[in-house]
Amino acid sequence: MRILGLDGVTFWYPATANPALENVSLDVGPGEIVALVGRGGAGASTLLLIAAGLAPRVTGGRLAGSVSRGARAGIVLPTPWTQVSGMAFTVWDEVAFGAANLGWPAHEITRHVDRALERLEIAALASRDPATLSGGELQRVIIAGILAMDPDLVVLDEPTAELDAEGTRAVWRLVRSLAAEGKAVLLATSDVDALPDVADRIAWLEQGSVRALGEPSLLAEDAMCDAGLGTTVAGLWHAAGLGAPYPLTVVDAVQRWR
Amino acid sequence: MSVRLLALIPVAVAISLALSAAVDAVALPLFLDTTGTILATALAGPAVGVAVGVLTSAVNTLRNPTFSPFVVVQIIVALYAGLAARAGLFRSLRTAVPAGLGLGVIASLTSTPISYFVFGCTTTGGIALTTALGKALGLPPLGACFFGSFVSDFGDKAVTFALVAAVLHALPRRTAARFPLALRAMGAT
Amino acid sequence: MSALHPFSLLAIAAALPAFAWILPAPAGGLATTLVAMGLTLTPGASPGSTGAGLAPGWRPRSTGVWLTPGWRPGLVTFRTALVIAAPFWLFLRLLHDGPTTVAMGLRITTMVASCVWLVAVLSPDRLVEAMVARGWSLAVAYLFAATLSAVPVLKARARRIVEAQRCRGLSPRGSVANRLRALRALALPLVLSALHEVDERTLALETRGLGMGVRRTPLAAPLDRTAERVARWTLLLLCLTALIRRLA
Repeated sequence: MRILGLDGVTFWYPATANPALENVSLDVGPGEIVALVGRGGAGASTLLLIAAGLAPRVTGGRLAGSVSRGARAGIVLPTPWTQVSGMAFTVWDEVAFGAANLGWPAHEITRHVDRALERLEIAALASRDPATLSGGELQRVIIAGILAMDPDLVVLDEPTAELDAEGTRAVWRLVRSLAAEGKAVLLATSDVDALPDVADRIAWLEQGSVRALGEPSLLAEDAMCDAGLGTTVAGLWHAAGLGAPYPLTVVDAVQRWR
Repeated sequence: MSVRLLALIPVAVAISLALSAAVDAVALPLFLDTTGTILATALAGPAVGVAVGVLTSAVNTLRNPTFSPFVVVQIIVALYAGLAARAGLFRSLRTAVPAGLGLGVIASLTSTPISYFVFGCTTTGGIALTTALGKALGLPPLGACFFGSFVSDFGDKAVTFALVAAVLHALPRRTAARFPLALRAMGAT
Repeated sequence: MSALHPFSLLAIAAALPAFAWILPAPAGGLATTLVAMGLTLTPGASPGSTGAGLAPGWRPRSTGVWLTPGWRPGLVTFRTALVIAAPFWLFLRLLHDGPTTVAMGLRITTMVASCVWLVAVLSPDRLVEAMVARGWSLAVAYLFAATLSAVPVLKARARRIVEAQRCRGLSPRGSVANRLRALRALALPLVLSALHEVDERTLALETRGLGMGVRRTPLAAPLDRTAERVARWTLLLLCLTALIRRLA
């Protein structure tokens, strides 16, 4: 059973001749975490918009191929300040914005919002004005707002971009707990070092196509290291000319040496 | 109304009100407080422009309560900008600036009765003083009031139209394509 | 006062200027001015007393008039209304005779005082919730709230752009042509960046269910007492009656 299925998807933005995505096929099942990696302009954000049902419906453009989505999706975009609703004057109201738009009963909204605030460890910010938050705090509020809508498919575009180290670790813990609950998670990140412990599968995007799809060990392959997309440890091992297979993480490297 | 237009309208209102910082920096006698209205009209049509104009007036009223009666002017600006956009007058400065001058005349004609009957031509110090000058030159009261409004509106609307034309031409093609009317306003269709 | 339903506050703020214009001058204007200025002295009409008031950028303090020594905080709204209305009296006297100055001055003062009072006591979040609870289109509630939120953000960005361009050597002085070129360099980045964000905001709003057409759940609807509803309708009827009598 898959929550999201892309079959041979090619997508063109409006008024562009070259496709942003070309013949992409990808599945995400319940409880699975699939991470997209690639250089800037590879098409990861476009793929996430398609997964979330926003392209071409909202972005415009043309899509060939098929997209099947068996559940409600929620997407968190990379820039938190453009995702603030503008209709909430406290963090609590901001997190409740989406759930209220679904027309849920008030007690259900309260339950989901309080839980989302706890999971993102921002309950102390509940009465703050979102306009006074830092970028990292706002990013957590936005993620909480999507989680409060209880989507079955969670789509995250660079979820840790604005966060400090502790915030980053908290988000990756959250992603794993979402998958443990049975939600499907599709994310794009440049924090490849976190992926061996987080992702179930990695999709390497290059110029709008899936160049490789597989387990996190993909991040230790020569091609990915040459492209600068391997983990730091794998990249160092590769650069030092040490033998393959390269370790993915520090723990792997220590085990290799012992 | 689509979500895209709902997202555009507050931004357009904010543009109108935020440009005062730029105007203050260059110390020119301009307002540019209809920029958002005209831009929204060029992008999405006069109905959206009217919504922007009404909201701009409402928000301006929070800062200065005497703005509220001039909502009529914002509506007229949106309707005029709609006609200008339909005629593709934003395609170059050569067509945009004269169109803006025309709006300056119409805006003055619209704001004068409001200024005269509601505020006795005292809406701003500048208008009051130019009205006094007009009176000193022997103009009748309404004519003096029009003179005061005209002096402030004429150049302001021409510069606003020029600015909107520049914005439309600087828009990335991908962004402009999301607003089909924008291409017509630029004379591209 | 701020505990009143937001629609009641709006009704009062709209009725006072209406009466000022409808009722015969100068008695009508004087009465409405006294009421409006009296409202600015009521509890809740000063910043910091109840936390009410429109978005921070719009509190009376932010009109640029600073609290001077000797003025109690409770008089800030009153003083703001006076300071905004005063120049009108001066210019009216410059242009018109005495009776016209008094008649128009009182009307304008009523309008100013009503609005300044409304800004001080009306919470934008309560107004939004009142709109949603009453079943108004979510679009209307959204437009009102989002505009109030967007304006200070873009104003701050405009100031940063001005500083940044100055650091890059932009000289906004000199001939008119030079200043217009500088204006273009200041305005274009602001407008283009704001339009670019419309795309991202659209995506974010869509994913958070804004365009779904489902009736939004009010989160904290203000209490709308029957007495207040009756009072609002009575105010409207009084306005209409006064208008009809004045025109007749």
